[in-house]
Amino acid sequence: MDRIDRTDGIDRIDVYMEASRQLEPQLNLEDLRPRQPEKKRFSDRFMPRRNRHILFDPAKCTGCGTCEMICSTRNAAVVAPVLASIKVLTNERLGKSFAILCQHCRRPLCLEACPTRAIEKGDDGIVRINDLYCTDCGMCTMACPEAAPLRDPARQEIHKCDLCEGDPLCVKHCPGKALTFTRGKALRWIKAARWGVQALSFLFLVILVVGTFCYFRAGTVELACPTGTLQNIASSGTLILVGASSALALLILTVLFGRVFCGWLCPFGFVLDLVDKIVPKRLGWPAFLKSRMAKYGILGGAVGSSAVLGYQAFCTVCPIGTLCRSYGVQSVMQSAELAIVPALAATEIAERRSWCRYLCPVGATLGIASLLRLLKIVIGARKCKKFSCIQCAEVCPVGIINADELREGISPKVPMTECIMCLRCVDRCPYGAAKVRFRWQKSTPGEANA
Amino acid sequence: MKPRRDRIEEAKKLSGASGCVECGRCVAACPMAEMYADFGIEMSPRGIIKKTLVGEDVVADRNIWFCTECNSGTDVCPQGVSCRDLIRKLREAAIEEDVVENARRCETCGRFFLAAPVEGFVQGRLKDEPANVLKALETCPSCRREIYLLRNA
Repeated sequence: MDRIDRTDGIDRIDVYMEASRQLEPQLNLEDLRPRQPEKKRFSDRFMPRRNRHILFDPAKCTGCGTCEMICSTRNAAVVAPVLASIKVLTNERLGKSFAILCQHCRRPLCLEACPTRAIEKGDDGIVRINDLYCTDCGMCTMACPEAAPLRDPARQEIHKCDLCEGDPLCVKHCPGKALTFTRGKALRWIKAARWGVQALSFLFLVILVVGTFCYFRAGTVELACPTGTLQNIASSGTLILVGASSALALLILTVLFGRVFCGWLCPFGFVLDLVDKIVPKRLGWPAFLKSRMAKYGILGGAVGSSAVLGYQAFCTVCPIGTLCRSYGVQSVMQSAELAIVPALAATEIAERRSWCRYLCPVGATLGIASLLRLLKIVIGARKCKKFSCIQCAEVCPVGIINADELREGISPKVPMTECIMCLRCVDRCPYGAAKVRFRWQKSTPGEANA
Repeated sequence: MKPRRDRIEEAKKLSGASGCVECGRCVAACPMAEMYADFGIEMSPRGIIKKTLVGEDVVADRNIWFCTECNSGTDVCPQGVSCRDLIRKLREAAIEEDVVENARRCETCGRFFLAAPVEGFVQGRLKDEPANVLKALETCPSCRREIYLLRNA
């Protein structure tokens, strides 16, 4: 080791200057060449494009290790896979390969854990380690659920992917195209379509009062609320075939597409979605109130009370019904009924769609019908980026996507009797992992055909 | 089994600790100062080196378990003393002598991979996260990657 000359102060300053010069990133030829600026699109003004990410498909990975080698040339200018910031693991018993690389989380845990605050997330979404502050202590590796910052055994330095500043070499050189660099494919049009359908449905059922949701008649077509019909049957004690068949329409719709009524057609659901837009902060319910089975109990209670009392007791307070009946243009001001909708809409303060989650007996009827469903929503493990994203769990209005499983690196199962088929997750997923599938199709490893 | 004094001697020789001039640059660069509120001379690299040199029983000392085994002290040392190697050797000696109340085993593979105060620091920084995120701290990084492979490949 060279001794620093301590006799002359000026010499020491030169040593420090030299050292700091070495710490500055080396420019290579590619950096000096003029780069093509990214083309601005017209739509960027309204909806800025999301940042690019590396997607890894384990089904296409052969475990060849080309990515490691090419990555090491960038980090250390020498071909040595241990110096790479991507690591290919191969499980010989299962015959499977997997690449560990930084996912550039939306909320990086490594950033929280770094003692010297050397890690930062840029505006371009890239999580970088600043070499000037990094001490190679390895706390980022400890905090990362995937242990993606890699410590090389030779020099004990931490290597972490920085997406090659927007032009990753591993993606270019992957022979099996298992790594792709993409902006993802969020659909984004489902949102507009859903709000349109909801508004139309609200217009027809509430404002224009072509009919109410409870009973709807246009010419020879008769439609009726299935929960109301159940209560009707219970109170009158006779099976009215015409009424039952008109109630069947909604049940058939549910079998075909899941509970689309709740997500797309229900006027009260539309009100709740609107109220949700203005709720600043959610308070949450205490845990003992959060029982999704309660709505089935309410359904049973509604049917039972109709049988005892002889009229549809629940329907007089049903928020969907009162909304349709009392809030229309031609409505007589039935003062007591007017209070029901605002009172239940206020539950949005605690959780999104609290009514639909825990209480709605109409949803319970449709939930029973959806046991025979044809469709399911899958969050595919191959494309899902798990703990780094968790957007699907955030946008889900009924909160059925398990964020804890995502944080552990498991693709969650979506319980379809609770799903209101609003397709927010499908719309929002940046990586095309959330999809609608037939229930017999398989799309995540280890998933049963349920 | 080698006597403890021989192990300390070996660690001293391997890390070059006897060349220490007590300039304190390693303390200035040490990330432990940011990590622990009670950071002081007794747990700093300079303190550990000094204790080793004057012949104290550092293997049984709790203070050797605060280090993150980073490289910054070695990088700035004018004498090339590697405080990391010293602490690593001392920890090895402690584990061989079964003084392990401050070392953490991996839940999966059972190897020692982390010191308790360091784990405490990471848990303190991530305390707002859900419990299952903190549970990942109980497995060593290589096992964590292996588990991730088995779940997702």
